[in-house]
Amino acid sequence: MGHEEHHLKPGALEFDRETDSPSLLLGVWAVIIVLALASIGLSSLGLGKYALPVQLAIATVQAALVAYYFMHLRQSDRVVILTALSSLFWMAILFILVLADYLTRPWHVGW
Amino acid sequence: MAASTHTSVLKHHFDRLDQQHASERLGMWMFLATEVLFFSGLFGAYTVYRLYYPTEFEFASSKLNRVIATINTLFLITSSMTITFGIRSAKLGDRSGLIRYLVLTLLLGTAFMVLKAFEYTADYEERYMPGTLFRSEYNAAFEAIFPTDPQQKPLSREEAKLYFEKDAQSEHPKHQHWAAELVLLNYRKSTADPDYIDPGKVQLFLSFYYIMTGIHGIHILAGLGCLIWLIIEAARDAIPPENYSTVEVVSLYWHLVDGIWLFLMPLLYLAGAGWVATY
Repeated sequence: MGHEEHHLKPGALEFDRETDSPSLLLGVWAVIIVLALASIGLSSLGLGKYALPVQLAIATVQAALVAYYFMHLRQSDRVVILTALSSLFWMAILFILVLADYLTRPWHVGW
Repeated sequence: MAASTHTSVLKHHFDRLDQQHASERLGMWMFLATEVLFFSGLFGAYTVYRLYYPTEFEFASSKLNRVIATINTLFLITSSMTITFGIRSAKLGDRSGLIRYLVLTLLLGTAFMVLKAFEYTADYEERYMPGTLFRSEYNAAFEAIFPTDPQQKPLSREEAKLYFEKDAQSEHPKHQHWAAELVLLNYRKSTADPDYIDPGKVQLFLSFYYIMTGIHGIHILAGLGCLIWLIIEAARDAIPPENYSTVEVVSLYWHLVDGIWLFLMPLLYLAGAGWVATY
């Protein structure tokens, strides 16, 4: 091992040793749990037409917290952040083109 | 033996360990981007049909088991936290802590699948599945109120309500509660009535329910496989702090599957949470 490492560039075995603080992880967990319970509680009240937007907004905040803290986007390389955002970009194209078709069909029965 | 730059942790095609870690993360994120698109297709189709048939989707959703779904949500969110604690233990070189958190994550994921199995079983016992099971239950409930035999008189709305209530309280009910409710909701309504709840579209929701939760469940199973592999690797001391990224890469996948569930929960289970039958 020592013989092999002789050929390594200086600092080749260094890496990011920083760790998440347990209180941060527990705090993020608590917020996501509270949001989940809030979403479930609000839904059973019957919010009518506001139910879906409220539920999706809460889910988006939850997913953002998971991505930012648990998936470490807050400390990621720019190329990783770009890759993550690219998935949202492709998803937006998929939704916009599909809905541009289906939601502009006035001849559809019941729509 | 020829000298090489290959060590037990640094693969020979990388110059530096942090470069190797960055490549591993990027590779997993690229895979996750394809996963997001894969599920987007399902979410997109769901969106179209939810907007087309809102009442049918809300009715169908209201008959799903929200208690199990709520517990499962708590399990998955907690498992996302425990696996992140696992990365921390791996970085600190705390092998027993790493194994403990991985086992905890594995148990939470397994508990999710076990509850899912109970849920599917209950759905099956209620014949709440698209296709012949659904049709025969709906037709049986319809036939009880509107007999095809012209000699028998159809029941009035009040009689039908009493009939289903009595049936539901009997020891061996002849009708599923959802089929009875659907027949009552559609009592004397033509298919052109805007309030008519089309049983075909209720089944369409059920198809989304089974396909989306099913594909998500397969992802959970794949994640459980990766967790078992990580536990074996950690147990044979093959995950030194320098290889913490192995845990992190699996965790990224696990979080994505958790994130998908955070959207399945409102779209499938909470869509009908505020449903009140009016008949």
